[in-house]
Amino acid sequence: MNTLRKVFAAVAVLFLIVLAVSPLKDFLREWKRYQVKYNTLTADLPQRVKPVEIGIRQIWVEKLDRVDRCVTCHVGLKEPALKNAPEPYRTHPQMFHDTEEFGCTICHEGQGAATEYMESIGKGKYWDRPILPRAFMEASCAKCHKEQEVPGAPVLNLGRKLIRESNCLGCHKIEGYVKQWVPVLNGVGSKVNRAWLVNWLKNPAGYAPKTRMPDFMLSNDETNTLADFLLSFKEFPAPLDPIPARLASATEAAKAKLVELGSTRFREARCISCHPINGKGGYVATDLGKIASKADPRWLYNYIKNPKRFQPGVPMPRYRFSEDELLGIVAYMQSEFVDYDMEQPPAHTPDPGFFEKGRALFNKYSCGGCHELGGIGRAEVMAPELTSIGGKKLYEIDFGKSKIDQTLPSYLTTKLLQPREFSSSMKMPKFGFSDEQATAIAVALLGNDDEKIPDELLVRPAPSAAFVPQGGFGKLVDDLACFGCHVMNGRGRLVATDLSLEASQAQRSWIEGYFKIPYSLRPVLTERMPNLFLQGPEIKTLVDFMETSFIADSLDRDVPSDPVTIANGRGLYFERYGCQGCHQIGTKGGYVGPPLDKAGTRLKRGWIFHWLKNPQSLKPGTIEPNNNLPDAEAEAITAYLMTLK
Amino acid sequence: MRAFLKELTRSQVWRSIFRHGLPLSNRTRAEAVFYNFFLHLHPTKVRKRSIKYTYTWGLGGLSAGLFIVLVLTGALLMLYYRPSVQQAYNDMKDLQFVVSSGQFLRNMHRWGAHAMVAIVFLHMMRVFYTGSYRPPKEFNWVVGVVLFVISILLSYTGYLLPWDQLAYWGISVGTNMVRAVPFGIGENISFVLLGGHAVGENALVRFYVLHCFILPVSAVLFMGIHFWRVRKDGGV
Repeated sequence: MNTLRKVFAAVAVLFLIVLAVSPLKDFLREWKRYQVKYNTLTADLPQRVKPVEIGIRQIWVEKLDRVDRCVTCHVGLKEPALKNAPEPYRTHPQMFHDTEEFGCTICHEGQGAATEYMESIGKGKYWDRPILPRAFMEASCAKCHKEQEVPGAPVLNLGRKLIRESNCLGCHKIEGYVKQWVPVLNGVGSKVNRAWLVNWLKNPAGYAPKTRMPDFMLSNDETNTLADFLLSFKEFPAPLDPIPARLASATEAAKAKLVELGSTRFREARCISCHPINGKGGYVATDLGKIASKADPRWLYNYIKNPKRFQPGVPMPRYRFSEDELLGIVAYMQSEFVDYDMEQPPAHTPDPGFFEKGRALFNKYSCGGCHELGGIGRAEVMAPELTSIGGKKLYEIDFGKSKIDQTLPSYLTTKLLQPREFSSSMKMPKFGFSDEQATAIAVALLGNDDEKIPDELLVRPAPSAAFVPQGGFGKLVDDLACFGCHVMNGRGRLVATDLSLEASQAQRSWIEGYFKIPYSLRPVLTERMPNLFLQGPEIKTLVDFMETSFIADSLDRDVPSDPVTIANGRGLYFERYGCQGCHQIGTKGGYVGPPLDKAGTRLKRGWIFHWLKNPQSLKPGTIEPNNNLPDAEAEAITAYLMTLK
Repeated sequence: MRAFLKELTRSQVWRSIFRHGLPLSNRTRAEAVFYNFFLHLHPTKVRKRSIKYTYTWGLGGLSAGLFIVLVLTGALLMLYYRPSVQQAYNDMKDLQFVVSSGQFLRNMHRWGAHAMVAIVFLHMMRVFYTGSYRPPKEFNWVVGVVLFVISILLSYTGYLLPWDQLAYWGISVGTNMVRAVPFGIGENISFVLLGGHAVGENALVRFYVLHCFILPVSAVLFMGIHFWRVRKDGGV
């Protein structure tokens, strides 16, 4: 009986000890150690830093429905004295949003409720959103920032740009993006030759390193079938004009003269502003370096004559070339832009069922997603929608046999770099992104989150303006593809200048002269505005419209022009404000800003005045400093500049 | 000391609680059991055979003990837990990360629940193998079966409350299985359980009420009947 009691007593004590483990663990929580260490660390600093009261600290963000306890250990986030302290005490580097207002996990992800390290970074079990690696941080900006350019988020902006430019929209549905212009394939059989097409399909970057066309990793059989299928489309919606017969009968000397004329016009028209030649030059259009080995001269002749007739929507201007000039340019291209290394594919007899098989391939790889061809539209089966890919749960992802880190960022990056890594039956082509580009795209995709953000926190994109100029001006703008480089009233691609206030800025005679012989205003910029060889009446239509529409009456202003004011302005220009630091007059001055030699013939006085008063209000982001000039000084400088003719 | 004890046992308070003397004679021993609330669960006389530990393995008593542990820890957990879709999972996280000994409470409750299901089942097997379900104890066997079902249901309804993926799909699958009962009965049961056609806020509240009120109260009622019968039949 006594032994039984002893056993009972021993067991009771044992139970008590076991029960004591829990309060002990509670007492020795991880975060307490960090806070105690923080207090000893800050006590040693020369600056006075307020010690932390031992206890759990948290930020409750009601509007985002988050409780973040990260600040329990990250105590010194706003303490400038801790800039070089070890983690978790280091000062937060650059804070775009106040932690008190937004918390931590809305940007960093991880488990905000946790008070233990491994759990808080979300690497423990049962947490879908582990902490974002530093390279992918900017993905979180996109949760709220839906605008085009997010300030302070270069990686995100690059990623979005790449998604737009790579035309991911051809296959994937992604909200907030628009499809880019891609060549129509109608008549492709009369445009390109078979050798080129086969090489192109097998390896597009081999022909044009910067092409948007990805590598579909086609087998030889697939390439041949697809090439046969495409080459069977020989009819253009508009018939090709024949190349004038007299070219064939021309003498060698006449031909050489034509080539020379073509070469001159090719340079004058500044084709390389948009078209790179073997990788050098512009970036908005196709590489012309080997065009003669690709396109039929008859097609080239017709296309340059009127691009939109064959490629509706192409942002290429219709140059006002004469027939001789057109012939010259084609002849020049034929003589210059040849790919001497082009491989000739082995002889091949088409499969009798090539059309059906080719169409199946065309649909399988969703070529119709980007390229229009006959009546064949977009393939029925599309790639997955990516609008909320950033919210995808890990258990929804098939990593296949891949050995990569099982996280969403690494999945997306790997998929972009090696599209068929997870399963060889996948159809996504290889775009040849660099690591940096793949990361940027992954960042933009991760930002496509299904996170519920309250309306008042969302930053929406500016509504795209649908400025459609009408009448004669409208026709010219369409014909010359002005929107390809210029922005007008919020529409267009900003390669060159925004023209919305052009007539308030520049004088009529200067604009007219510029259309005849375009030049670059700044010596540091390459000359890009092409000479479109416009005729007098066309220039008049353009400038008339600008004078009535691209003008703001509020920018009009009369400025005194008496000698005293001018002398005064001259003094201000050179002495007081040292404008010559950036602007050149004559041979003196810097070259950061445009030279002001002939400012009096180029600019309008009202513009100069308002520009001096507040440059950023006229061109947001310009580096011209806002010196807060009083009206009298701005008037004086304007008066002086207007004398420079 | 001895004088103090003597004084204490003679006091009005002591005697109002313990209405008998020290259990030194058969009569006072019987009285000790008879007048004590906790001991009155035992019959006044037990056959020697059934006192043998290996006859019962103490499984019934263990089940009852675990039930008490579960009620206590469950009551404490109720202080922190709110049965709403918005808060349930976060409250779970708070128990884990912030509440003093919160994780310990959860673990006690969880492991206690698992153990109770197992031990109730073993208890049933023991009753079966010792033939204790035979007349005149057949009604108590039936009550025992009801208690077993209640234990299982308690375990199942508690499954949904953490409101994680396991809970969600566990209940989705479970209620869909119920729907397989023919003649539209299954659909009705599932609808009543979920308070709708899918697992959502209504289901969470219903499972919470079932888990914390309806099922424990019925368990207590049936346990009362069960124990009373055991006592009448001379069990331990």
